Amino acid sequence: MNHRGGEAPDAVERSNGARSHGTKWLKRRRLAKVTTAIATAAVVSAVGMGSATVANASVVNLTWWTMWSGSTLQLLNQMTTQFNKTHPGIHVTEANIPSVATTSTAKLLSSIAAGDPPDIFTEWWPEIGEFAADGDLDSLTPFLTGQYRGFEKWEYPVAVQGGTYQNQLYAVPMGLNSWAVYYNKSIMAKAGITSPPKTLAELDADSAKEWVITNGKLQQLGIYPDTAGNGFLFYGSFFNALNCFNSAGKYDFESCKGAESLMNWIASFDKYPYAQVQALQTAVGSVAGGQTDMFTAGKQGFFLSGPWEGAQNIPQSGGKGLQGAFGVIPFPGTVGVPSTIGQGNFNIVPKGSAHPAQAFEFISWLAGYQNEAFMGSIDPKGGWVPGGPSVTKQPAYQAWLKANPWLDPFLPQMTSPYTQAPDLTPTQAQLFNAMNTATANVLQKIQTPAQALKYIDQQGNS
Amino acid sequence: MQATTSLASPSTVAGTSPRALSRRLRRRRTRLGLLFVAPWIIGFLAFFVYPFFATLYYSFTDFNGVQQAHLIGFTNYVNLFHDPLFKTSLFNTFYYTACELPLSTVVALGLALLLNMDVKGRAIYRTIFYIPSIVPAVASCLIFVWIFNPASGIVNDILTGAHIPGPNWFFSIAWSKPSFILLGLWGLGQPMVIYLAGLQSVPHEMYEVVNLDGAKSWQRLWYVTLPMLTPVILFNVILQLVLCVAYFTQAQVIENADVGGPGTSTWFYVQYLYEQAFEYLKFGYSSAMAFFLFVISALIMVILFKTSSRWVYYASEQQ
Repeated sequence: MNHRGGEAPDAVERSNGARSHGTKWLKRRRLAKVTTAIATAAVVSAVGMGSATVANASVVNLTWWTMWSGSTLQLLNQMTTQFNKTHPGIHVTEANIPSVATTSTAKLLSSIAAGDPPDIFTEWWPEIGEFAADGDLDSLTPFLTGQYRGFEKWEYPVAVQGGTYQNQLYAVPMGLNSWAVYYNKSIMAKAGITSPPKTLAELDADSAKEWVITNGKLQQLGIYPDTAGNGFLFYGSFFNALNCFNSAGKYDFESCKGAESLMNWIASFDKYPYAQVQALQTAVGSVAGGQTDMFTAGKQGFFLSGPWEGAQNIPQSGGKGLQGAFGVIPFPGTVGVPSTIGQGNFNIVPKGSAHPAQAFEFISWLAGYQNEAFMGSIDPKGGWVPGGPSVTKQPAYQAWLKANPWLDPFLPQMTSPYTQAPDLTPTQAQLFNAMNTATANVLQKIQTPAQALKYIDQQGNS
Repeated sequence: MQATTSLASPSTVAGTSPRALSRRLRRRRTRLGLLFVAPWIIGFLAFFVYPFFATLYYSFTDFNGVQQAHLIGFTNYVNLFHDPLFKTSLFNTFYYTACELPLSTVVALGLALLLNMDVKGRAIYRTIFYIPSIVPAVASCLIFVWIFNPASGIVNDILTGAHIPGPNWFFSIAWSKPSFILLGLWGLGQPMVIYLAGLQSVPHEMYEVVNLDGAKSWQRLWYVTLPMLTPVILFNVILQLVLCVAYFTQAQVIENADVGGPGTSTWFYVQYLYEQAFEYLKFGYSSAMAFFLFVISALIMVILFKTSSRWVYYASEQQ
């Protein structure tokens, strides 16, 4: 007899036996399946109920990407915790994306392209213009209604200028920078300088006395227009050299008197050893977690920096005896004093954010809007200038100012008519990089000031 | 009655011809084979083939990475040749490649020849020379910047001690590219080990034959060792060429905030490409740069392979 499939009778018998056994097993398995299904359904419904509970409470979850670490990250965590405590309907989760500027931009772009961006992103300042021009950001202007109607007037004018592209608000700073000249009292005394300089000529003359080069090796320096990344851009407002456009709206630094003055001033430092300045900066910057610069290391007599220098960098780097031995003066440029460049760390809402309205609520709160008391206590810890002047009136902020008289120059600069922020443009990042390169080129005599300005225009308009 | 077993002939079981069954078996094997290599094929298609053609397509578009790409013809390619930084980065990369490639080949080969000699403690020497190549690139860079820092580095301290004025290394326009070339020589352990393996595969009889002919050591090197090593040299040259053309990590780490600096002396091609894409959001332009680099690299490879028949000796071909 031919059993199709070649199954022997004993095998069939075994199989039947197995089937009989298997039937029981199958029954058990079905039972197990049903039980699992019921259990799963129970769990899912429980979770669903949980979700429903969250949904009922209308808790909106926001994700905030930032790039900081160390003490700044601790401050951000405090801010997030406080916001979550005072806003039961919104829960912010802060995600630290440690990276340099370009990698964070790549991460943000990938998330936007994938349709899953964070709700808030703290952006390095140069990229806001190109993001806005490319349609990668949500405009915040539609939210400036109701309780936010007066928001832009509440901010410092430079904060609005630095966050606006084509009459639409795209970015709000949670902290602004204000730049002034730190001076080291003991270096000044050793150089025979009795009082801080008041004019640009005095600053140049005093600074020249502070340079020490022994056996061809740089030991100490005065002011230098390219330390810690502070080149043409950061001195721009002191010379009215930030917003140089022609009638067609293109960058035109070649025809800009302020830019010419600034570049000539930079060129006056080409007698100093550029490579050694950078080497010394790198050497001192490699210690103390990057908090050390040549000023905190006690090797630079005059140094352009912001309030965080005295509030964070000097105390955290050990200060080299600088605590109480330094002062700050406004930079005496060619425009009226005081002035500064208005820039800072801006928060943006990427296109595709699930909750842009709540995101704006959060970033305006971070700026200190209707949150003056809390930010007034946080900003001093970071050495930050807040987004709006009313925060500085708060008792905690006032106490900080009073305890640190060296802070005096920073705040008046923020409302000065000479203070500027660079207008946002789609090619701002190229422009800023070109300014840095041009500064370095002039200091190394690779380009003349005129060639450098032409280079800035060429790159800025590309 | 005897039960038929499952071992009946295929034709009996399936009712088909052996040829058809063989075909079916082949198909089944092919399917299985494809199934096993599927992860690699999927990876290759997703991460090599698709990006290649996507790059080619985007190179003809104005694309910011998020919004819809718009075709703009050859504009990106035309713009490349009007961009001074593109030319600078191309020059810097070729400068680096032209210096690093022959130098690294000679040094790695020289080290391999030395370490192939029968000396006491040979294994220790081999280990010592190989170790730098397993140090992560970022760590190597940071160490290099530290020891070559003209303000605080040990190298210039030693030079000063010997009354030699130390250069400003990475901080000087004149010395920045040579400094990177020097850094490149630091991690030559990999090609050195490959040369070493090549040297050990040279048949000993060949040396015996030339020794009988009274060959001196340089003649043994020139007429036996080097010809027998030429396939390995070609392999290493190609590997090093790819690394040189795509030079990025070390430059990015060392230059830190001053990308391309000092001045534009160390703007390398891939750095500039990266900046165009991820800082300026010009993905179309950077795609054109990427494709241009591919064409140049492919051309060099073709020249290398075409000319290799004149200088590369394959013993197997002679047989």
